[in-house]
Amino acid sequence: MEWANDKSKGGVLAHLERLETQMSRSCKNLEDPPRETAESDLGTKIHKLRCLRDKLRAEVKQRQARIKASTANAEPDQTLEISEQEAVGGKEENMKAILQAYRFTGLSGKRTSRGVCVCISTAFEGNLLDSYFVDLVIQKPLRIHHHSVPVFIPLEEISAKYLQTNIQHFLFCLCEYLNAYAGRKYQADQLQRDFAAFLAGPLQRNSLCNLLSFTYKVEPQGRSFPFCARLLYKDLTTTLPTDVTITYQGTDASSTSWEEQRASHENLFFTKPLYQVFTSFARNGERLDMSLVS
Amino acid sequence: MDETVAEFIKRTILKIPMTEMMTILKAWDFLPENQLQTVNFRQRKESLVQDLVLLCESKRASLRDAALLDIIYTQFHQHQKVWDVFQMSKEPGEDVDLFDMERFKSSFEKILRRALKNVTVSFRDAEENAVWIRIAWGTQYRKPNQYKPVYVVYYSQTPYAFTSFCHLKSNTPLLSQALTVASNHHKIVKMDLRSRYLDSLKAIVFKQYNQKFETHNSTMPLQETLELDMHMDSRIIHENKIEKERVQRVTQETFGDYPQPRLEFAQYKLETKFRSDFHGGILAERKEPLRCLIKFSSPHLLEALKSLAPAGK
Repeated sequence: MEWANDKSKGGVLAHLERLETQMSRSCKNLEDPPRETAESDLGTKIHKLRCLRDKLRAEVKQRQARIKASTANAEPDQTLEISEQEAVGGKEENMKAILQAYRFTGLSGKRTSRGVCVCISTAFEGNLLDSYFVDLVIQKPLRIHHHSVPVFIPLEEISAKYLQTNIQHFLFCLCEYLNAYAGRKYQADQLQRDFAAFLAGPLQRNSLCNLLSFTYKVEPQGRSFPFCARLLYKDLTTTLPTDVTITYQGTDASSTSWEEQRASHENLFFTKPLYQVFTSFARNGERLDMSLVS
Repeated sequence: MDETVAEFIKRTILKIPMTEMMTILKAWDFLPENQLQTVNFRQRKESLVQDLVLLCESKRASLRDAALLDIIYTQFHQHQKVWDVFQMSKEPGEDVDLFDMERFKSSFEKILRRALKNVTVSFRDAEENAVWIRIAWGTQYRKPNQYKPVYVVYYSQTPYAFTSFCHLKSNTPLLSQALTVASNHHKIVKMDLRSRYLDSLKAIVFKQYNQKFETHNSTMPLQETLELDMHMDSRIIHENKIEKERVQRVTQETFGDYPQPRLEFAQYKLETKFRSDFHGGILAERKEPLRCLIKFSSPHLLEALKSLAPAGK
């Protein structure tokens, strides 16, 4: 705007300055009194509350003194009260211990402010394995707040089927899946760790441990050809395979003794957990050695 | 050995920092221990690389071996890539997934090759149940570009796959299809989750970050830590202490005790009405709610948020 220059410059800018000083003055006038009154209001409030607090504290002290005085008068009952207190305390400790021990049953829980937090402690053949949690919110509809169940366990399916209609079944079903998974995983880990000498190559597995593929020998240092095993666990609630395929790639594959062995191995894998199968190989291996020599 | 392969191996080894050289070469397991011992690792890097490349030539390293070295380098330097997350889904009521890693790998490669002749696909197993896939894309007439590969990390029998950022968006549909079909899924979508930190992405989608669960067995270390803090500032009186304890407890319930997954930014769409004491303000008393986009960013977002509440007051 050109008229703001030169002649009018002093005029407009000076005018704006005046307006500004006017405004700041009027602001101060408006602010200070309200601020002051607000502060003094709060100050008196604080003072009042402090007085009230001191009064209440004094009252509490008085009452405590009165109670002490009255209990001092009733001396003979005091010893009885103390032993009762100890008894109650002992019972409480006991109760706490029992609640803590509940997790060994495999399924335990604790009340929360929203509902209940269920703990599923898995185990396989006497070995305590991982624990998984499901935090339930007790509302209509019942829902899972959060959980530590692995993503490959079909939790959504199980909860869609049973959570709203039969919570007991939901929990038992989930227990089955998790225990079976933990058992299969334990068997696979144990095979890799304790019977590595029998494996002729890496153990192929997946997250659910429901497909295991490996090559093995019956004797760790043996000259025999390895067997190829393929174990499928189509039922996710079991720790024993549903399908077993053993193949033998040796040159004398047609010989009956190897065919017998192959068949007996298949039977073993169907019926026994992995570590038992390989332990029996170790034992039989010794016996086989003896028979070959003689 | 092909000249392009030699050049590729040379450039890959040049990227490796000297401190990691031995570790990575051992993980590669292509040059045997006794041969590595004949090499002088104290010389200048350029000469060291030349020696190593000569060794690789004498062992006739193939493109396959070179690609494997590239995967191992990337596994050691995951943070250099930006990772996206894809989520797959199945039809409900399907049979039990009997995932076979070997079948997955061959199926994945077959699907890519059927569509594109010029592509290099390499695999490396990781952990118990995961696989790293490296894909170098070519076109109908050009050989694959080994210097701009895409990486995919997949954990078996899960609906999530992590992919490194790819400039060539045109190949993403093919990659998605290969992943979906090979892993027995039906649909795939890209999630709104991206990070340099693969571990944090894993922690978030697999829900592996520490979640607080109430049990009868949990101890209460919270009280102890609070006692220490209170002794430091004697000006904090009883009423404030109760409030501080409550803030601590809520923070711990929400975040847990362990380090948080590493997020760098989070974006939220917010639709809200403005609540104001000043009547006649510009933003107050509108019929339409305000729509805005809020972005939080920090080198470590969740830890920053976790320390926010106790820092207040």
